[in-house]
Amino acid sequence: MSDETKPSAGDSSGLSNGLVSDSDRRVYQAAQSLHSSSVKDLLSLGVCERCVFRLVSVEPFDSDLSSVSASTLRSWLEEASAAAAASSESSCSRVCIVCLGVLQFVFSDAKQTLARSECGSDYAARVTELVKREGHEFDSFGLEVSVPSTVVENERAVLLYLKGKYETEGWVQSEKISVKDALKVLVLDPLKASLGAKSDSSSFHIRLTYSMTSDEVQDASETTHERKKRKTDEENGSTSMSENSFEKVYEPCILSVNCNKMPIFFSGRYFKYSRNVSQTRWIIDDERMGEASVEELIGGNILPACLGDSYKFHAAGREDIDVRMLGSGRPFLIEVQNSRKCPSQQSLMEIEEKINNSEKKLVGVKDLKFIGSQCWAMMREGEAEKQKQYAALVWIARPLEEKDINSISSLIELKILQKTPVRVLHRRSPLERERTIHWMKVEKIKGSSHYFLLHLCTQAGTYIKEFVHGDLGRTSPSMGSILGCRAEIIQLDVTDVKMGDS
Amino acid sequence: MEIQKTAEVANNPETEDTIESTKQNQHEEEVEHCDEEDELRSMLLSDIRDLPLTPPSATQVNFVSYFITDFTKPGHDQYIYRHANGLCVIGLAPTHVAFKDEGGITNIDFNVGKSDRSVLKVSGKRKKNAMRSESNTALCKVSTAKDSYIVRCCVKGSLLEVNERLINQPQLLNSSADREGYIAIIMPRPADWTKNKESLITLEEYKQKKELSL
Repeated sequence: MSDETKPSAGDSSGLSNGLVSDSDRRVYQAAQSLHSSSVKDLLSLGVCERCVFRLVSVEPFDSDLSSVSASTLRSWLEEASAAAAASSESSCSRVCIVCLGVLQFVFSDAKQTLARSECGSDYAARVTELVKREGHEFDSFGLEVSVPSTVVENERAVLLYLKGKYETEGWVQSEKISVKDALKVLVLDPLKASLGAKSDSSSFHIRLTYSMTSDEVQDASETTHERKKRKTDEENGSTSMSENSFEKVYEPCILSVNCNKMPIFFSGRYFKYSRNVSQTRWIIDDERMGEASVEELIGGNILPACLGDSYKFHAAGREDIDVRMLGSGRPFLIEVQNSRKCPSQQSLMEIEEKINNSEKKLVGVKDLKFIGSQCWAMMREGEAEKQKQYAALVWIARPLEEKDINSISSLIELKILQKTPVRVLHRRSPLERERTIHWMKVEKIKGSSHYFLLHLCTQAGTYIKEFVHGDLGRTSPSMGSILGCRAEIIQLDVTDVKMGDS
Repeated sequence: MEIQKTAEVANNPETEDTIESTKQNQHEEEVEHCDEEDELRSMLLSDIRDLPLTPPSATQVNFVSYFITDFTKPGHDQYIYRHANGLCVIGLAPTHVAFKDEGGITNIDFNVGKSDRSVLKVSGKRKKNAMRSESNTALCKVSTAKDSYIVRCCVKGSLLEVNERLINQPQLLNSSADREGYIAIIMPRPADWTKNKESLITLEEYKQKKELSL
C-alpha cells in the first residue's frame, strides 16, 4: 500500500535502511511481480539472477538491474518466490548455466585470474582499466559484445524447457533479450561514465569477447549428430528437455577486451629525387630492389606519430624505380590501421620537415595533412583521366636538325598504338592500347647534336620509354619512326601530375 | 623593401592590414612559382652527366643476349634475348644463312606446322590460348629468292606473340633483324628455361665462334 518497502528476510542490503534509490525500488517491485514458481524452478536449476529477470519478466530488461548486486537480487527473488534461501555464498558463486557468468559480471582474464564484480559500475571499472592499457585517445566509442555459441545453445535449451513446462503462461511467449544485448544494456552507462566518453556508432570500437576455456569447448558445443536430433525433436514438438539436461557445471569464461580504431588517412604530394628508389617496397627472392621506397620513407615516419598497428600506401599513379618524380609532386594517401592518437598539424609539419631535410634527399613531401572521407574522391582525380607531363633525355642515331624540332612541335594530339610493353608483358594482358600524346617540345642540349631533352604531355597510362625507343616496333608511331632513325631513352622524369583543382 | 612592408603591417592592426598582407602573399606566390619552375629546370639538367657518344640500346640494357647456332641445320643461327622478367624474344642472328642469299629475305609465312601462328589470340594475364611450344617447334618459314628456311622456337614455353608486321614488311628482317625484325616472344617456365639455357651460348661465345667483330 504505502511506498515503503518491507524489509527482506534475513538480508538487510540496502532496503531496510530506507536509503533506497528509485531504480532499486523499481527492481524490487519487478521482482515481486515475477511468476514465482518459474523463478523458483530456474534458480534451483542454476540460472543466475539477471538471467531469471531476463527470461521471466514481461517488462523490458532495464539498466536498473546494473546497480543492484547479485546477492541482493537473489534475496529479493527468493523472497518473492518463496524459494528456499540457499546460502548466498554457494548459489552466487555458481556460474549460471545459461549465460556462463557473463551477466553475473564474472570472468577470468588472460592470466586465468578470476574477477567478480557485484555491480555494473565495478565491472565497468575493470573493463576501463583494460581499455586504457591499449592507449587509445578517444571521446566516443561503439560497444560490441561477443559470447560463446554455447551460451546461445543454453538459451535455446532453457527457453524450450520453459515453453514446455509453462506453456499456458503469458510471459513465456514474449520476446527475450539475448545475453549479448542484455550485457550491453547493463554495462553501457557505467562504461560511459567510467571512460568519460559518449557512445555512438563511432570510428572507435571496444569489443568484449567472452570465450570458453579450451577444454570446455570440446564438451560443450553440439556435435552435428546432436544438432540434427534436436532439430527433428523440435519439429516433432517433442522435447527431450528435462531438468536433467542442465546438469553440466561450467567454468567462468575468459574475457578479452579489444579496442580497434577505424583507419585514418593522411594526404599529400611526394617527390622522388632518386633514380634508385621504388615507389613501394619491392623485394625479389629476399633481396630488396633499390635503396629504399617512397612508401617506407613516408609511412615509416607517420606510423610512429599515430602509434598505429600498420599502414598502407596509395598513390595516384606510379613511376618506375629509375624515374624521378619532380614538379608538383604526385598525390598520395597514407592509411593507418588502429591508430592510438591523431597527430596534430604541427607534428605533421615536423614530419614533413624531417623527410625533406633528411641527409640523403631521396624523397620529398608537401601539403601533408589529415584528410577525411573525401580522400578517395581526391585520389580518383589523379588517376585515369588526367594528363601527365614528362621530360625525357633522348639520344638519336643521327644529328638533330631544325626541321626535326619543328616537326615534333607540330604534332598535337598525336594518337599512338602501344602493344603491352615486353617489360610488363609477363604480368599484364597482351592488348593494344591507343593513347594520345597531347604535345611535345624539343629542348636542345648544349654541346650535343645527338642528345636532346624531350618535354611531352601525354594521356594517363602512356608508356613513355616505349614511345621513345619503339619497343621493337610494338609502339607506333614512336620517336624513332617519326625521326626516321634509332632513338633511345636515357633518363625520364615526371614533371607534372595534373589534378582537377591544383 | 619587403622587410619594411612587414613592419608597416605589424604596426597597423586595422583592416588595411589584411589587404596589405594578401597582396604581399600573392606577390610572394608568383615569385615562388617562378622559383619552382627554375628549380625544376635546374634539376632536370643537373642530372645530365658526361654523355657517351653512343649509349647502349634498350635491348642491350634490358635483355641478356643468347644465341644458338646451326640449330637442326647448319647455318640456322638465331638469337634469344631474355628479359629480366623471363620473356624471350626470338629472331634471326646476323649470321643466319638466309641473309647470305642475294636480295635477302623476301617473304615470311607463319602458317607452318599444324596452324597459322599469326592468328593465335592470347588473352588475359594468364595468357590463355597460348600455343605451347617445344624448342624445335616451327615458328615460321622465311623465303629468299633462292630458298626457304624454317625458323624454330629454340625455347620451350608458351608462344605469346609473333611479329605479324613482318608479313607486310619482310624487309624488316634484312634491315633490323635484332629489333623491329624480331620473330616471336615466348614465355618459358623457370624450370624449362634452366634446362634450355644449357644448349645456348653467350654473345661473347657467339662472336668468337663466328669470328665476327660486331
